[in-house]
Amino acid sequence: MKDWLSRYGPSLLVFVVLLAAWEFATTNGYLKPYRFPAPSKIAMGFVEIASEGFPEDLTIWVHTRTTVGRILQGYIAAVGLAIPLGFLIGAFSTLEKLTAPLIIFGRSIATLSLLPLVIVWFGTGELTKVVLIGYGCFWTMISNVIAGVKYVDPVLIRAARTFGVSGPALFWRVILPAALPRIFAGARMALGVGFMVIVGAEMIGTVEGLGALIMEARNFYRSEITIIGMLVIGIIGFLIASGLLHLEKMLIPWDTGLDEVRR
Amino acid sequence: MSTDAGFIELNDINMRFGLPAEALPVVLQGIDLSIAQNEFVSIVGRSGCGKTTLLNIVAGLVEATTGTVTIAGNQVRGPGQGQGVVFQQHALFPWLTAMGNVEFGCRKADISKSEKREVCRQLLDLVGLSHAADKYPRELSGGMQQRVAIARALALDPEILLMDEPFGALDELTRIELQQELLRVWDARKKTVIFVTHSITEALILSDRVILLSPHPGRVFKDYQITLPRPRIRTDPAFNAMYQEIWEGLSA
Repeated sequence: MKDWLSRYGPSLLVFVVLLAAWEFATTNGYLKPYRFPAPSKIAMGFVEIASEGFPEDLTIWVHTRTTVGRILQGYIAAVGLAIPLGFLIGAFSTLEKLTAPLIIFGRSIATLSLLPLVIVWFGTGELTKVVLIGYGCFWTMISNVIAGVKYVDPVLIRAARTFGVSGPALFWRVILPAALPRIFAGARMALGVGFMVIVGAEMIGTVEGLGALIMEARNFYRSEITIIGMLVIGIIGFLIASGLLHLEKMLIPWDTGLDEVRR
Repeated sequence: MSTDAGFIELNDINMRFGLPAEALPVVLQGIDLSIAQNEFVSIVGRSGCGKTTLLNIVAGLVEATTGTVTIAGNQVRGPGQGQGVVFQQHALFPWLTAMGNVEFGCRKADISKSEKREVCRQLLDLVGLSHAADKYPRELSGGMQQRVAIARALALDPEILLMDEPFGALDELTRIELQQELLRVWDARKKTVIFVTHSITEALILSDRVILLSPHPGRVFKDYQITLPRPRIRTDPAFNAMYQEIWEGLSA
């Protein structure tokens, strides 16, 4: 408990002081309440949205469940597609040369700029949102899988060759495990992209989901609800990323080299 | 083939990187060497004289532009013909434990898993690391990592051990310790060793024979038989005289 306090105490104090200053500034008219709703207002908004819901009957829990569901569907589809494709492209340099421009091109298109087209293709239903999220995650993921496979330390490959290991065995026993840390880093970055895309993806044809909640709150000048939506997205993102990090530490206990990418 | 041919034969090895038309400098020129079974040969030379390239050619990792290498009469066409290699950096697989790395080297298909484990345990024991079997490479010191690398190369049960400046990155004390360790292993397992090094002292401590390569292009410049009795003492006058002779050869 004492350890915990000395470790997190100071940063917690800064946080509390900032909140107090914010509250003081809004209630005393230094900040406009509709621009910067006071922390107390946000807290009351949270109670409202957790019990009655906003809009009517759609509580924060429903919004959260819907959003997490959409992100996971798009994310898992993207990762599931990017891993085998990335292995294939990374393993064959000809394939890598052929697809490199396409991948840079695809990665460069801002996901949300596809929104009008995706609506034309898939309508305004669930699929559109999942496709947009999946699109965003896919390019980040596949770039990292390819790089992971491609940039394996050549010394390790040479060492394996001295034991007569080559071909598919070289891939499974050396290249794949050597690429794992990078693949995991990619999986975490891709998840981040999923969370960035969600607000835009939920702009169209729905009032359900945290992104939709943020847009809907804007229409009703409820900036405190917008802030709640932002906070909840941040918290879920943080929780899922920590979960992935734990999984990673369990699955690749040997790795220490990618600590800075991990954050 | 004649009976007095060496166990390892290098015949007129020439090496240049890139296409001949590019007129790139020749790395190795006309290397002829004959190495006897169980001989410990060191290759010494300045940086850029092609020592590592020569070792990689014997390992079958790099193909010479022209010329052949034979091991016990068989031409080398790739790795896995009885050459165990220890690299400059330890080159251990970071995702495998010390034991796992040694097991990776043990490619015998005809023995059971438990027998394999026993063989590898003995090898770790041989390099004094049976207590660190379950540690990952990053948890080991530089000297320990190189010991594992030696055990892993031995797991292949190679007739030849090719070592590319394996102790170059270690501190002086660890280095001396590992040199003694290597001599012990060499004595216990009877291997033919080709050892690349920058250090004349290291070559003299270890070898039956020291081969001096001259740079640009890499050629065999001198071939010294080291007849000093073992164990070699660094402060022995005969040792120092030999050191001086090689140093003069190197500076010529």
